[in-house]
Amino acid sequence: MTIAVVAGLLAILPFVGAAPFTITLLTEGLIFAIWAMSLDILVGYTGLVTFGHAAAFGLGSYAAGFFAREVTTDFFVTLLFAEVVVIAVAVTIGFVVTRVSGIAFAIISLCIAQVLFQIAVAWRDVTEGMDGLVGVPLPKMFGVTINAGTELYLLTVVTLAAVCIGLRRLVESPFGRTLQAIRTNEDRAAAVGINVRLNKWLAFIISWAVAGVGGTLMVFLKAGTTPMSLHWTESGNVLVMTIFGGLGTLFGPVIGAISFVFLRDEFTTRFEAWQLAFGFVFVVVVLAFPTGLAGIIARVWRSLWPVRS
Amino acid sequence: MASPLVVRELSKDFGALRAVDGVSLEIQDGQVHSLIGPNGAGKTTVFNCVSGFLRPAGGQVLLDGLDVTGWPAHRLVAAGLARTFQITKVFGDLTVFENVALGARSRLGRNLQMWRDARNVADAQAGAEEILDMLGLAEHAGANADHLAHGDKRILEIAIALALRPRLLMLDEPTAGMSPGETAHIGDLIRRIAKHTSVLLVEHDMEMVLGISDEITVMTQGRVIASGTPDAVSRDPHVQDAYLGEVDVMNL
Repeated sequence: MTIAVVAGLLAILPFVGAAPFTITLLTEGLIFAIWAMSLDILVGYTGLVTFGHAAAFGLGSYAAGFFAREVTTDFFVTLLFAEVVVIAVAVTIGFVVTRVSGIAFAIISLCIAQVLFQIAVAWRDVTEGMDGLVGVPLPKMFGVTINAGTELYLLTVVTLAAVCIGLRRLVESPFGRTLQAIRTNEDRAAAVGINVRLNKWLAFIISWAVAGVGGTLMVFLKAGTTPMSLHWTESGNVLVMTIFGGLGTLFGPVIGAISFVFLRDEFTTRFEAWQLAFGFVFVVVVLAFPTGLAGIIARVWRSLWPVRS
Repeated sequence: MASPLVVRELSKDFGALRAVDGVSLEIQDGQVHSLIGPNGAGKTTVFNCVSGFLRPAGGQVLLDGLDVTGWPAHRLVAAGLARTFQITKVFGDLTVFENVALGARSRLGRNLQMWRDARNVADAQAGAEEILDMLGLAEHAGANADHLAHGDKRILEIAIALALRPRLLMLDEPTAGMSPGETAHIGDLIRRIAKHTSVLLVEHDMEMVLGISDEITVMTQGRVIASGTPDAVSRDPHVQDAYLGEVDVMNL
């Protein structure tokens, strides 16, 4: 219900005078929100910290971009193709990396993302190397072109809402609780009959699949992608968005991603070293509120509407 | 009916150290069987080999007549074995209720379901409520497990294991860090559990072990030195040797 209301409010923004520039920025923020939520499943819910989550997003962008240029621009078919690629890779990689946890998982997932980055640089026939895929056409839905700007924005809002609903169901399902059990204590989880490795593997695949949806939208928004979309610095950015918004809250990362995009835009126009300025805000927020922006919002909410018991 | 647990010639090495050396034991249906011995005797290693947290180097583990040697922990749970941990390992950031419900859903094979609300798995909810009531934790059901007092966390450990409705319950020092009053309470609880579930108990509190066990196996240095009823074991000269200095305790 809340999701529908928020999505509705977001959807009317372009019609109540929001500047086209703001809408484009917001589109990027909402796409990042999908990505950040997918990371929250892995980091916030399953306890698997990764420095390589750009791999999932960038791979989705490349697969969708390639398909849109070479085969069809139909959004659903392109998305389906991107998902098949992302899930196939996630199944394979996930099988290996989810055998470990903690630092080992963080490092191995980072290495794999850097391998994908190098492949994107080197496999010029498909990826066009460092130049990246350019000139990806706009997607079509039911034969109608989705124009950049408002239409792509609305598609993003709808997709985000669908992802929100799906992931919220997921984290509140028995499977979601199982993931939280694994995050808390893997041995204890095994002792209640949870197949820890299998569940981590499934979480990894689901997380990648959702990130791939974001990657698909992004390649249409930017009309292309470059190997930088797979780079570890991007993995760092999404981790920052997720933690900034609030780990393990699912909606926190949405706010984190939108804030990230707007703060970055604000800071890059004012400071040379925008990361420094953003880093300062990040550290202050996270030190004061370990659950990030979601924690601040929860605090304010509770002070406005105290729980009556 | 086959014994709930038979261990034959179990061994386990850590590098050059033979921590467990040919240990055999058998638990009878509906009994409390205690495994005791001085520190470093290899009790916990046996415990971990049987419950799937360590792979034994040799020997056999039969659960209800089924050879489960070397099975991973989660499969053993499905086969009817549940354990607790010496160091409390409850799911601290989940509610007390959810801790137990995880066990209940696991028993029902529901933990992989992705598309329904966990709170709507009615059988698991009812099963968890029943166990919390039985163990006197119902009033804390909504609290985070982290916020429980130490004694209640130890009881929650047992509650999670019971939610799995095991054929064999393995308790690793359930009274660690508890007051005498709480220890007595746990002792009563174990006797009640034993009415429908066989129990393998590793425990340091001698008074309690002698009071509630049907059978006791004594280990030192990785080997079994005695096995039998509490009476027989406490009179055994080998056991008295092993517990030199603790003889007074054994005579209680």
